[in-house]
Amino acid sequence: MGIRKKILFGFLILATMLLLAGAWSIYELRTVGSSVQRLLDDNYKSINAANSMTEALEREDSAVLLLLSGNWKQGREIIDSADRSFQVAFRIAENNVTVPGEETYIAEIQKAYRAYKELWIRPIVGTSREKNLDWYFQEAHGAFQRVKITVSRLRALNAQVMYETGTQVRDKAHRAVIPGVVAILSALIFTVIFNYFVNHYMVSPIINMTNSVQQFLKTNEPFQLEVETKDELQHLARAIGNLIAQSCKRQAS
Amino acid sequence: MRPAIILRYSGLILVFDALFLAISSIISAFYSDSALLPLLYSAVISALFGVFPLIFVPAPKDISNKEGFFVVICSWLLSCLVGSLPYVLWGRDFTLTNAWFESVSGFTTTGSSIIKNIEVLPLGLLFWRSATHWIGGIGIIIFALSVLPAMGRTGMVLYRTEMSSLAMENFRRSTRETVKILAIVYTGLTVCEAIGLLACGMNWYDAVTHSFATIATGGFSPKNASIAHYQSISVEMVILVFMVLSGLHFGLLFGAVRGNVAGLWRSSIVRYYLLALAIGVIIVTFSVHGHSFPSWNEALRFAAFQVVSLGTSTGFATTDTALWPPLAKLVMIFFTLQCACAGSTSGGIKFDRIVIFWKGLLRMINKMRHPHAVIAPKIDGVVVHDDALEAGVLYITLYLGIVFVSSLILTALGVDILTAFSGSAATMGNVGPGFGMVSSMSNFSQIPDIGKWVLTVTMLLGRLEIFGLILFVTARSWR
Repeated sequence: MGIRKKILFGFLILATMLLLAGAWSIYELRTVGSSVQRLLDDNYKSINAANSMTEALEREDSAVLLLLSGNWKQGREIIDSADRSFQVAFRIAENNVTVPGEETYIAEIQKAYRAYKELWIRPIVGTSREKNLDWYFQEAHGAFQRVKITVSRLRALNAQVMYETGTQVRDKAHRAVIPGVVAILSALIFTVIFNYFVNHYMVSPIINMTNSVQQFLKTNEPFQLEVETKDELQHLARAIGNLIAQSCKRQAS
Repeated sequence: MRPAIILRYSGLILVFDALFLAISSIISAFYSDSALLPLLYSAVISALFGVFPLIFVPAPKDISNKEGFFVVICSWLLSCLVGSLPYVLWGRDFTLTNAWFESVSGFTTTGSSIIKNIEVLPLGLLFWRSATHWIGGIGIIIFALSVLPAMGRTGMVLYRTEMSSLAMENFRRSTRETVKILAIVYTGLTVCEAIGLLACGMNWYDAVTHSFATIATGGFSPKNASIAHYQSISVEMVILVFMVLSGLHFGLLFGAVRGNVAGLWRSSIVRYYLLALAIGVIIVTFSVHGHSFPSWNEALRFAAFQVVSLGTSTGFATTDTALWPPLAKLVMIFFTLQCACAGSTSGGIKFDRIVIFWKGLLRMINKMRHPHAVIAPKIDGVVVHDDALEAGVLYITLYLGIVFVSSLILTALGVDILTAFSGSAATMGNVGPGFGMVSSMSNFSQIPDIGKWVLTVTMLLGRLEIFGLILFVTARSWR
């Protein structure tokens, strides 16, 4: 192989190492970006909605207690407002089904909430349920707990997926950095080896040829130089050898 | 010494590593796992580094002993370095130290691991992990000789460094023929075992990876519970038979395959090896019966597998030996130190040296009885010269000294004595599991980072038969 090809090959190797590492890092960084977006869009939104639903449920539970104690106006205001908040949060969660199994939890929440709402939508003040703590503990509180537990499950599912995605993001970030580090170290080592080869197989033979020619000019010693590589330098050494031999022949004749 | 020549031949080994990395990345792609890019990038880096010297450095007519020696050592070290790349690139538990430990453990066919949960790792990466055993088992150098059939005397130089001198005496064949014999026996055994395991109901992936680890006497398994995962007597039997075979001299095995089965039995080393294993199995069976296993059948089944596993430096497990009685543990520590025959892929002191040691001891006793007698110890009719006796005894002393120093360092780092000693002996002998924190069902993840580096040095010292690495480090003072 000729010198030009050898040098070109060396630079190509260097470029390939850096190019591949760069391409890989870009790919991983891009997926890190999309993973973070997915983390926010898919999981954080659902967790937030679950938190809002829990908060609304607790306000509804307090309102039921107010109604139970005969405080109709304040109780109705709170319960209607909490119901609106719950419905808003529920719609967000319903429209953000992204994790396998999430749809089942949404359906369970809807069913449990409907059952709970049926208990307090009917009048409480002025009925047999007013000041009836047995009714509260046996029916209302149980229904409230059931909705709350289902909402907690939805939150736990999203939190788990969020953790898994977070771990993936960490791995991707690692994979975006490490190829670059490996490529830099490899390129440094490769440069040292490349430099050694260029020096050993290209520069040294040229220096040796120059010395041999100078030696011939000084002492008229025969030009003897073996170049290991089968490339232009070997041809050059042979050409110089032939030139000197011809020159010697002419001088002798 | 010509560094360019060393780079050229070490480059060939890197190309071979790259080939296996590429195969692993194909497996990774097949299973769509997360190790594809780390394996592929490592393959490219390894191939580029390997091919470049081949382009620049012309093939030499001959290479010196020193150069041949350097090629072997550099090939080991470079392979370990390249082998750690996929782990580092993949990340998670693989810090630089852990990746280096896993890679050295693979290439030296030790089988000690830092991985807590093996089964969550991508299959492509686990295939590479087993492949490092297979490459290391045959000795990376053999591949250089296979792809360089026209090396002439060069081959002999490389071969001499790779194999134990004791094994060399047994071969009595030309280098190329020896290399061919080793390659045929090695590949043949791997294929036969894989077929045997497939017949026992293993899937092709498990069969191949376990065959890689058995024939190389490595011990990496893609399962957390190692061979205990399968709970299959037939699987255990197939692996047990191939572990025993892999502990034999490969030249003798080849002879047996060619019809000279009597040659195997004529070798006193082989007889001692099989006898010692049988005695070990009997002692351990009696020791564990009633303690760990209520029935004799179970005691024999587990004792046989564990004794052969440690006695051949493989390191597979079918049960947690940390729970076994002290006598059984001591017997197994003895086998961890001794291991199998020279000329096999196993590590440790090796039976050949133990036999030489006993012959030397007997000669000394006879000399004391008859001071003027000329006594020449013989093995299979061949006289063992004084320098071989001296080298054997020196090796055993140095070996035990290194195990002691390594244990001392680990103990200083806060590791308990049993773990430190058995871990050092297991890594020095390229066995794999020890006792205590590093028992057959445990791993080396709890060893401090400095301890892991110390253990990788003992692995390399054990694999390169101590003097190899010492000569490499002191190369500047060579004459």
